[in-house]
This record gives sequence, structure tokens and C-alpha cells, in this order.
Amino acid sequence: MKSLMHRRTFLRGMLAGSAVSVGLPLLDIFLNDSGTAFAVGGGLPKRFGLFFWGNGILPDRWVPTGTGAGDAWTLSEQLAPLASVKDDITLVTGMSVKVPNVEPHTAGAAGILSGAPLLLEGDHRTFTMPSIDQVIAAELGGYTRFRSIEFGAAPKAGLSYNGPDNQNPPESSPKALFDRIFGGGFTLPGEDGVADPSLGLRRSVLDAVMEDAAQLQSRLGAADKARLDQHLTGIRELEKRIAWLEENPPSLEACGIPATPAEIYPDVEGRPQLSTKNRVMMDTLAMALACDQTRVFTNWFTYSVNNLLFPGAPSGHHQLTHDEPGDQPEVNKIVKHIMEELRYTIEALRAVPEGDGTLLDNTILLATTDCSLGRTHSMDDFPIVLAGTAGGTFKKNFHYRSPSKENASKVLLSIVRSLVPVAGSFGAADGRAEDGLGDIEVL
Amino acid sequence: MNLRLLLCTAGLALAACTTPAPEEAPVDLESVPLKPAPGTMKRLSAQQYANTVRDLFGADIVVPHALEPDQAVEGLISIGSAMTTISPLGVERYEAGALQLARQAFDNEERRARVMTCSPGSAADEACYREIARDFGRKAWRRPLSDTELTRLVSLGVQAGTQYNDFDKGAEFLLTALLQSPNFLFRIELGEPDPDRPRRFRLSDYEMATRLAYFLTNSTPDDELLDAAENGELTTHDGLHAQVNRLVESPKAREAVRGFFTELYQLSQLDDLQKDTTVFTFMDKELGPAAREETLLLLEDIIFERNGDFRTFFTTTRTFVDKRLAALYGIASPVTDGFGAVRLPSGMGRRGFLGQASFLTLQSHPIDTSAVLRGKFVRTALLCGEIQPPPANLNTGLPEVSENARTLRERSEIHQNNEGCASCHKAMDPIGLGFENFDAIGRWRDKENGVPIDAGGDLDGRRFSNAWELGAAVAEHPQLGYCLARNLYRYATGHVEEVGEVLFIDALAEKFRQSGYRVKALMSALATSPAFRYASEPVSEGVEE
Repeated sequence: MKSLMHRRTFLRGMLAGSAVSVGLPLLDIFLNDSGTAFAVGGGLPKRFGLFFWGNGILPDRWVPTGTGAGDAWTLSEQLAPLASVKDDITLVTGMSVKVPNVEPHTAGAAGILSGAPLLLEGDHRTFTMPSIDQVIAAELGGYTRFRSIEFGAAPKAGLSYNGPDNQNPPESSPKALFDRIFGGGFTLPGEDGVADPSLGLRRSVLDAVMEDAAQLQSRLGAADKARLDQHLTGIRELEKRIAWLEENPPSLEACGIPATPAEIYPDVEGRPQLSTKNRVMMDTLAMALACDQTRVFTNWFTYSVNNLLFPGAPSGHHQLTHDEPGDQPEVNKIVKHIMEELRYTIEALRAVPEGDGTLLDNTILLATTDCSLGRTHSMDDFPIVLAGTAGGTFKKNFHYRSPSKENASKVLLSIVRSLVPVAGSFGAADGRAEDGLGDIEVL
Repeated sequence: MNLRLLLCTAGLALAACTTPAPEEAPVDLESVPLKPAPGTMKRLSAQQYANTVRDLFGADIVVPHALEPDQAVEGLISIGSAMTTISPLGVERYEAGALQLARQAFDNEERRARVMTCSPGSAADEACYREIARDFGRKAWRRPLSDTELTRLVSLGVQAGTQYNDFDKGAEFLLTALLQSPNFLFRIELGEPDPDRPRRFRLSDYEMATRLAYFLTNSTPDDELLDAAENGELTTHDGLHAQVNRLVESPKAREAVRGFFTELYQLSQLDDLQKDTTVFTFMDKELGPAAREETLLLLEDIIFERNGDFRTFFTTTRTFVDKRLAALYGIASPVTDGFGAVRLPSGMGRRGFLGQASFLTLQSHPIDTSAVLRGKFVRTALLCGEIQPPPANLNTGLPEVSENARTLRERSEIHQNNEGCASCHKAMDPIGLGFENFDAIGRWRDKENGVPIDAGGDLDGRRFSNAWELGAAVAEHPQLGYCLARNLYRYATGHVEEVGEVLFIDALAEKFRQSGYRVKALMSALATSPAFRYASEPVSEGVEE
């Protein structure tokens, strides 16, 4: 017995206001007889991932030597930790984030993640457009149980925006991330789920809550109505996730349940266990992708202006970027530490076989930060690493260096188009791009 | 920006008036020109959610944690919670929280009795479900439920009760619906026309009950307050004053004061301090929370035990320490367990809030002190000054320690000598350098890198030669009282004031001064004032966007 509940009609509403549209009606996916989530699209699913860290890099020791493919370029000192995955990455350098740098770090993050200016009024700051993960999730989110999954080793991280003042907070507990995906009700491919009578009731409760919200909405002012609308979207999505548990078990071959993380990862010498947490969370996330529970993830390894103490560092990261004299050896070590974690992130995806290749082949991972040189918060020569090819769309083992400070949003548009071919442009105002970056794409 | 400048100037001008002459007329907040702001829709903060479910289910309920994170705007979560929404992950966490709470409500007889106000005849006893929805719903949603709402909840109860053939199970699912509803998670202020002046908009009785309860107790309205709302008392002068007096004098008002100052001074960040324990062997996970408790106990002491002058918060030698803090401060602990009151020896240089570990550790780096962070906190959170972020593409590093610049003061000179830096840093660094005798976890030190520390400086024209003189200068700063009044106003109403509220805030600050800076008097004055009772009509579709 797979489910006690009859199929249900979904209320279809706008996702995140009216900024984005749903590519395919969720209902169609749902009525699919094969029980697989991706049959509509055909072939293996494509995914988007983000690896983000705060406080920039040291451009002098970041930019690789040589450009072009394969042996034509070699990794720089800071990128050396990526040696084992060089065959699978593309470095993009020399691009500029074009939005106004109204506030150190946050403006750069808004520019590289949403292509649009940061809104800053007094102490109130927000993205004005959805971040790239949510632009993509608006199209791919309907195919899976989770529209997107946000997580990160450092608490308080996260800049995933559905729209202004509307963020998706990342999960920072490895155990909570695991429980969210593989806890209560999750069944492996081919396994018969144990019918849980409470699932149907939980959906009935959510129906009632939605009716409350709709009734309330009619009496609110415009701004609060929009806020409640976003709340409603969340409720609808939760109802979908519960229904998915009941009706659409995963079917991909590599799907399995990862190891259960520890409940807590206490600080060591006053330092958070960033690396351990990142690796446990990536192992969990890789299986979430392998089981097609989501196709969009963001890994907020650290956050803008974080003053976290890295192992062995004599001061917090942000303070070091400003106060460490000379060529900043401690900052350099921290950047390399972060690259080790990026390598793990890439390897975790590459470790999962899928079709003739790996999960990584069907993913496009963007790794970036909130500025170039942390010390000056510059937005020229912005650090951008890509991994995976989104099913062959992107070159790999490649270094592209822009000769003319091109708009970094071109890279973002290329990424969006690799998953959502109809996308017309990305970003707004000076950050807007209408063309992708052809140089990094396989034509 | 212009508005802000105007505010500061207006506040300064007013607060700078001389001390009250005996014949001075008391400020009448009823007669100050005011254009009230629209009501808000505020999500319960994590603390409010916790306080609320404890009031609903009993103090021993296990409160779900890791809900939607709070977000501060202009330093206050209450402003942020009126702007943000609930994310998809937040919906999931509130659902899990509601399921957890509803389960607990029925796993213990005492808790069950709070919910079960009737005896069911069967698993599908509609009348009994209706009674629970009506009675418990009124507490949870802080207003009576409509027939439609009741019917919706009853049918859920019947569905679940029937499916499990268990009335309690039905009631459990009914509760989960109540606890996930926006009517529970948000405090909604729609307002209604004032019958006395039809063109004016006021908060309804139940909306007043909710606003009062969260402002004065940081939790949900109690039965007495809901009954007062039901009887229409909260829209009358006498009824309102009676309830405000009751709440301000109740033990729960301490929760409110704790909540407000925790937000304003960012004290919740003391839970995850980043300090290098290889440098500070004294440091551990408990130091931050202990430091917070010290600050909150001193506030409670001044505001409630003594009904004292708020300015003494910055000058008093009295404080509250546990063994850990006593050791940090180098004094004998008055207690072996918990916290006890102490007088700091007058010669030791540590006085008032700005000599406490909470401020000193929070506004420091993991190893080093920071004149910028400490100075900025005093300038902005205490004195309501404006500081712009540093311009982009500027090298903001301090020079390294060298023979010529061994102390932070010497290294910070670059901020004063560079014209671009100085315009903002002169408002912060000289204040922050006044605390250099305290290291990054608040321990006293005489020297930095072997050089005696010079903690002298100038706060807006008033000289000080050490941290306690600086504390006294902050206490007597003309902006201090105005700034607290303005922040309390923002906290209570959940928004940054518009032009039409500026004169009101000035008057509120003046009233605070006239009261001798009594915080309880300030809370009462605000809670009974027109700015608290009235709203403007919600901005409807098409106008706002």
C-alpha cells in the first residue's frame, strides 16, 4: 500500500510574487504514471549548485597562468587545492560586477548572485531581485520534493533571496539537514513505504491554514498582502513535499541514504568545525541530488564580513583581510582552506555515478564570494569558479580571462540558460546581461 | 537621510534644554501633533514564540527551537519582523513545531486539562471540538474566532478524530492548525474607524490587547487582558490606564525589558562569541550568556527594584556577577552559585554597563579589541548617531604593530590623519579608544605591547581621561535619553518613524526627561499614548507598489 490518500488538486499560485513563472504545471508532473519526477524533461536531471564564501580572495595569487583549455593553463597558488578536480572546472577571471558598490561585501554579493543593485536604506539592506538559485528554482523546483535546499557550515550565513526582504535561511545543523531530507517518511527506490496516516492529515491541516491565510489576505494592505502571499507559497510547497513523500518515491539508481550526522559539532579551541560540517553536509546533499529530492542547492560555506576563526588563524577572517600587513599570509591560508572545501564539494558530486558519467557532469556548480580583494572590497577581477558542465553545456579544464572587464552577469546568464534555455536576460540596471559568455560554453 | 538629520537635531535641541524647573508644565502627549503610522503585521520573534507557547501550555513545555531566524533592521528585530515574511523552510519548521507542541499538549494530564474544556462523547464529538476551538483559539489567536474559522477547525478535528478513533488525536490536529496559522504566527493590526472621530483610525480592543501584551510582557495577552478587550475597556481612557499599570507592575514586565534591551544591545549574539580560546584560556561557551545575565540583572535592578534613573546604568558601581565574572573582573564572588550583587571597588576603573563584559566582548574582535566597534556601538545604539559604511574600494586596513605604533591608539591615527576616514571615524574611534583598558573579553589591562594605555579623549566636547569618566559622559550626553525613547518607540510600533511622528517622539523623550529618566514611566507613557492607540488606514492595493 503506497498511500492512503487520493491524489489532490493543487492550488497553483505565483511563486515569489509575480517575478517568476512556473515552467511546467506541477499537476502534469504529478499525474505522471511512471512515478519518476523527471520523466517529463527526459534524460537525467540537470542541477544547479552554489558554493559561496565571504571576504574575497587575493587576486595576485588567485588568477591562473595561461588561458585556454587543458595544459594551456595552470592553477595559481590559491587554487592549488583544486588540482584533483582541475579536469572538471573552468576558471573565469577578469570579469567585473557592475552594480554600484554602495556597501562593502553586501553590494558585491548582490551583484554576483542576483546581477542587481543592493537596496540600502539606513541599516536596512536587501537584494532587489531573486538570487540566481531562486531564478533557476522557479523553473526546476516543480520537478522535485524540495524546490531548493539551502545549507552552510557557518550559522547566520545565506543570501538566497526569493525577492526583496524574502530570504531562504540556510540550515546550519548537519543533523537537521539530514532529518529534513531523509527523516520521517523517506523511502528508498523500490522500497514499500510504510503508510503514515498522519501525512494526509497534515495536508488537511495545511489546507485549513491556507484558507485562514487567504481569508486574512483580503483585509490587508498591499505590502502585508505580498508578505502573506509568500507565506502561502511556502505552505503550498510544504503540502507538495508531504504529497511527494506519499506518492513519488525516488527511482534513481545511485540513490541511497547517507550516514547520519552527529547532533552537534562543538567548537575546537574557540573555532567552529567548518570543514567537518561542510563535508558531512555535502555528503548528505549529494545523496539528496542522487535521489532527485531537489535540483537546486546553495552551500553557504561562510558569509560576508564573517569574522570566523579558521584553524590556526591568529584573528578572525574579516579582520585579517583588513589588518594583516604585507602580502597577507594568513588570509592566503584561509583562502586555500576554503578551496579545499570547494574541492570536497566538487568531489562529493563526482563520487556519485549517474548514467555514463557522474552527478557532477549533470550539474553546474558556481563558486564565488562577495568581493575580489577583501582588503579594498574591489569588484573587478571577480573570482568565479565553475564545476560540472550541466550535461555538456560548458567547457571544462578551461581558463577564460576577460580582456575587457566584461559584466560578470554574463556568466550567470550562461548558467541560467544551460538549465532554462528560454531565459532572456539576467540582472538589472548596470548589472543586467542580455548575452551569456559564449567563450565558456560548448557550442 | 534628511529625515534622520532632522531627527537628530530636533532631539538634540529638545533634550539639551536645562534641567526641569519646578514650575515646568508636564508634557501632554495627547496634544502633540501626530500622523500615526499604519498598523503592522509582525511575525513573533523566537523569544516571543517561546514566551507565548509557555503561557499557552505551561512553563514546562519543551519549546521547539530552530524556527525561522529573526532578522534585525535598524538594530531591532521588531522592525525586521514587520518587514520579512516566512520562508518555505520556516513554514516547515513551524509545522514541525506545531506538531511537537500539540503532541506535548496531550501527553501530560495538566497540560491536557488546559486545552480540554469539555468531555467528549465520542471521537467525532463536534460540540466538544467547537468548544476547544473557541476557547483555546481565542487564547492562541488573541481574539474570538469567527464561525467560518471555528467550522474549519472543527471539521479537521472530526476528520482526525474519526481516522484514529480517538478524540484527543482530533484535538491534537486541531491545535496544529491553530499554531501554524498566520493568525497565530503574525500579530496582525488592521485597525478600525474611531467612533469618536470617524476620520481617525484606531486599533481595535483585541489589537490593543496584543500590542500591549507583547510590548509590556513580551508575550501573549493573559486572560484578564483578553477579558478587558472583550468588555471594550482597552479603548477607554480608564480601562487602558488600569491595564497598563497592572502590566508594568507585573513580574512579566521584566521579560519585556529584557527583550527590548537584548534586541537593542544585540545581547543574543553573546551565545556565539568567536574568541580564540588558545589566547583567552578564560573563555568558554558560558561566559557570553553569563555576561548577558549581568547586564539584564543590572537593568532590572535599576528599572524595577529601584525605579531609578536610567542614566545610572552607565555610572553605577553596583553590578551582578557569578563566580566566573567575578574572576574575570578580579573581585571576590559574593555567591557560590548563580548571581549576586556586588559593589565594584571605587578604585578599579570598571563601572556601569560600559565596564561590563557583555559590551566589551561583543564589540571586540576574536583576539584584539576594536575601537571602531566599541565606538560605533556607543555612537549609534546609545546616542542614535548615524555612521555611513566605509566607501568601497578603499584600503581600510590599520597599520601593523611597529616600533612607532605599538598601541591601537597609535595605529588608529591613520583614521584621523586621512581626511576621507576622519569624517566618520572621529565620531567613533575617540570613544572606542576610551575602553582600551579592557581587552577583547573585558579583562582589565594597564599596558598594550608594553606601553601604558592612554584612555583619555573627548566625547562631543566633554573631556574624559578613562573609561568611567567616559561612562559618566555618556550618561549625561544630551542624546542618551532621546535615543532610548526613540528606540523604545520603534520597538513598540515595529517601524522606523515617519515625518508625522517626529514631534511625538521628541515629546516622548521630553516626558522621559521630566520623569527623571524612569523607564517604567516611559513605557507607561508610550503604551497609553495616541501613537500607540491610533494607526492610519492600511495602504491598499495599487498605492504602495
